[in-house]
Amino acid sequence: MEVLQFAVRKLIGGIPLVLGVTLISFVLMVYYGPDKTFELLGKNPTAEEIAEIRSELGYDRPFFVRYGEFLKELVTMDFGLSDSTGEPVNHMLGRTIPISLALVAPGFILGNLLGVLLALVAAYNRSGWIDKAIMGFAVIGMSVSFLIVIIAFQIIFSSSYGLDFFPVRGWNVHSMGDYVMYVTVPTLASVFVALGYNTRFYRAVLVEEMTRDHVRTARAFGISPVKLFYKHILKNALIPIITRVMFSIPLVVVSGSLLIESYFGIPGVGKITFDAITSGDQPVLKAVVSLTAVLFVITLLLTDILYRAVDPRVSLN
Amino acid sequence: MTDEVAKALLSVRNLVVEFDTRYGPVRAVDDISFDIFPNETVGIVGESGCGKTVTGLSLLRLVPSPPGRIVQGSIILNGSDLAQLPEKDMARLRGDEISMIFQEPMTALNPVLSVGEQMTDVLRQHRSITKRAARDAAIDMLLKVGISVPEKRIDEYPHELSGGMRQRVMIAMALSCNPKLLVADEPTTALDVTTQAQVLEQIVMLQEEFHMAVILITHDLGVIAETCQRAIVMYCGNIVEAGTTADLFERPRHPYTKGLLESIPRLRDERIPELPVIPGMVPDLMSLPAGCRFADRCQYVQADCRQTPPRLKVSDDTRSGVACYHPLNQEPGLVRTPA
Amino acid sequence: MSTSTSAIASPASLPEERHESIWGKAIYKLRRDRAGMVGFAIVTAYFIAALGVWLGIWGTHWSDVEGPKWSPMTSEFWFGTNIIGQDIFQRAIYSTKTAFEIGLVVAVLSTLTGAVMGALAGFFSGTWIDEIILWIKGVLDSIPFYLFVAAVAFALQDNPYAMHVAMVSTFWTTTGRLVRGEVIKLRNFEFVEAARAIGVPQIVIIFRHILPNTFHILLVQATIVFVAAIKSEVILSFLGLGVQDGVSWGLMISESTLEVLAGYFNNFIWASVLLFGLVMAFNMFSDALQDALDPKKVAAP
Repeated sequence: MEVLQFAVRKLIGGIPLVLGVTLISFVLMVYYGPDKTFELLGKNPTAEEIAEIRSELGYDRPFFVRYGEFLKELVTMDFGLSDSTGEPVNHMLGRTIPISLALVAPGFILGNLLGVLLALVAAYNRSGWIDKAIMGFAVIGMSVSFLIVIIAFQIIFSSSYGLDFFPVRGWNVHSMGDYVMYVTVPTLASVFVALGYNTRFYRAVLVEEMTRDHVRTARAFGISPVKLFYKHILKNALIPIITRVMFSIPLVVVSGSLLIESYFGIPGVGKITFDAITSGDQPVLKAVVSLTAVLFVITLLLTDILYRAVDPRVSLN
Repeated sequence: MTDEVAKALLSVRNLVVEFDTRYGPVRAVDDISFDIFPNETVGIVGESGCGKTVTGLSLLRLVPSPPGRIVQGSIILNGSDLAQLPEKDMARLRGDEISMIFQEPMTALNPVLSVGEQMTDVLRQHRSITKRAARDAAIDMLLKVGISVPEKRIDEYPHELSGGMRQRVMIAMALSCNPKLLVADEPTTALDVTTQAQVLEQIVMLQEEFHMAVILITHDLGVIAETCQRAIVMYCGNIVEAGTTADLFERPRHPYTKGLLESIPRLRDERIPELPVIPGMVPDLMSLPAGCRFADRCQYVQADCRQTPPRLKVSDDTRSGVACYHPLNQEPGLVRTPA
Repeated sequence: MSTSTSAIASPASLPEERHESIWGKAIYKLRRDRAGMVGFAIVTAYFIAALGVWLGIWGTHWSDVEGPKWSPMTSEFWFGTNIIGQDIFQRAIYSTKTAFEIGLVVAVLSTLTGAVMGALAGFFSGTWIDEIILWIKGVLDSIPFYLFVAAVAFALQDNPYAMHVAMVSTFWTTTGRLVRGEVIKLRNFEFVEAARAIGVPQIVIIFRHILPNTFHILLVQATIVFVAAIKSEVILSFLGLGVQDGVSWGLMISESTLEVLAGYFNNFIWASVLLFGLVMAFNMFSDALQDALDPKKVAAP
């Protein structure tokens, strides 16, 4: 019950954040956004036609009324129809979110796991050649642009100039085998790009924990290295690790998928966002922004709960 | 070896510990030798940087190994040389035969584990007992170190305890497997004065009850006076004098010891214009002088002092010694250079 | 009553000159960090290239259609030509200027913003000022970056500086957070109490006394943002939200996506190599800088 109260409190606390995000997005994208009046009309529109369209699009209503409508859409989760395709936005989200998740999940998990493993090797061999080599590769990984990696990997793995093995674009997934074929190159690209950052971060966290006093104390009492690692290093490192992993989730799902999906032509949330950006499709944009804000607040909440489970110093107040 | 020496609990001979620095290897501990006998409390005293902490750490082979290492020497405990022991065997001894407690109680305990968990971990590492039995033993130990209501405290987390209590928990952990030797590195320096006195009293009591030897590393001569029977004075990586506390305080033989004693602020009959200090500075470990390291600051220095470093001349029972060509208050018939 | 031996001397001194200030020590450490110095040299080389473009010495023919489509690398066209026939080498060199322009502008402005906001938030921590600034930070952090840039681009009606504005608006938050943390710590130091006691006004305390103590954080963050800005531009240009006039490595790479399918890699390779070179060199320098200023940072000790 305590947890529930805590959760509710945190969610309520997140409301200003959601309001803030929606307000800024609304101001930028809708209020100052593209004026579609003339797109919808033909040539030489008359004054009445202009007024009619403007009224239909809601341009003549005052700011807060329009913002209020937006919030209502958010709360009722009804964003209407897409400007470009006419498809109900909710429907679009329902169709694309699972694809995006299936696309980014392997890369995300793999990128973090490998990052931790490499960081472990580096940390335990601190100052040795392995450490320097791993850190060297990490810097290289950090210095390559995601775009370059995507293009390069596509050439190397999918095109006729390379291995010509994996599909170049699209997402024609009907079986597990198909899934593996389509998800591999994007996953490899994401892992390559994230690995550098992840490894460096995890290594820093591990080294910081390894050199703490209480680790020396435990060693002084003869605790075995394995137990030392799990109970005194890893457990203590969980807070920064959890923070990082959790906070990169909203980032990865939306921003990460944007580039991959547009380049590989995969119909996920990122792609429809990208299309919406270039075509100025407001309902879709509104929906995606709202989604991200809510996702962020939920992430904050989950993170706090996880903290509590891991560190007794954190209280639920 | 005489009978006296054969009874020593711990024998350190010619220990040298080096650290790799940007400017080359530096000897934090340079050829020291001493014995510790069962059931005695011996202090290692000296200023910061003299090598006393590194000495303590080397006894448990806890010197941080990328920069530091034991270059030579032997540390004999119960017939085995700790300096040569493989790490696995060393880990078995730590917490069991020989224990160490550290200076900062605030950070020495793991904040995410309860007191009980940390204590039972130590117990179960060295003894095969059930969790239940370990917990009972831990509660027992907490009581012994003077923590009231131990059944409740044992489930608390370090941040819920005061500094003094945390230090007592550390002591409880260190003693839980009944070690023969306890190394305490500045255990009370980070505590306030009242707590300091209490914790020291506790250590003395426990030393008697558990029949163990205690090495107390400190820079505070007052602590030595209150708790130790013997003391070893270190300067710049060397041992300059050793002896009973009474002898050291009343008849210091090394000019450095004398200087230390004189610089303690105390009540005097007459006013003095200035607090006596030892002039000069500790020499740079990277550019040590040819002779005695204290020569530049010594008011009794003579020509031969600067030629070669004086070696520690140890008494027959190895319990006292001095490293000086011209010791003060010298009693006849005391000299014997160790092997 | 303490009877410690501290009445006696001070610790050993190093054989080299004593460097007391954080900056003195930092410069000393920095000069001995080979990777960092190599990075710095490379960055300087790029900077000179950019300067040359800015002064009109080279890279001026970046938009001229001079050669055949897809010429290979010849003595006339060192890197070959692209699909329209433009000299890739000229374009690549010109892009150096673009990169520095974006990097410097965004780095300086976002660091300044972060410093000021962070200092205010930290000094007035716990009050409404802090709450508001934290709220703003939170909001900016939760908006997906590319969406934000797009939104800003719309709002500013495709102003070529929309990208810069968007980047500065989002990149200052990390700096702000770090400065805020540091200021909260510094606020409790005695020199602040002393200044207050003499009657120094708060604004002066913040900007003349506390903030200078965060310069090491600001410097490191500026280098990190510089790299982030350059890397972001690449993706933004690909999305059509980036550089509008002129050319940049990002634009070159996005142009090359078509060329690459036809088997012509020059554009792609050279833009990528040059981009990678600058970013990698800057990262190495940034690492060395972090190491020199605070040994607890990331790189291998």
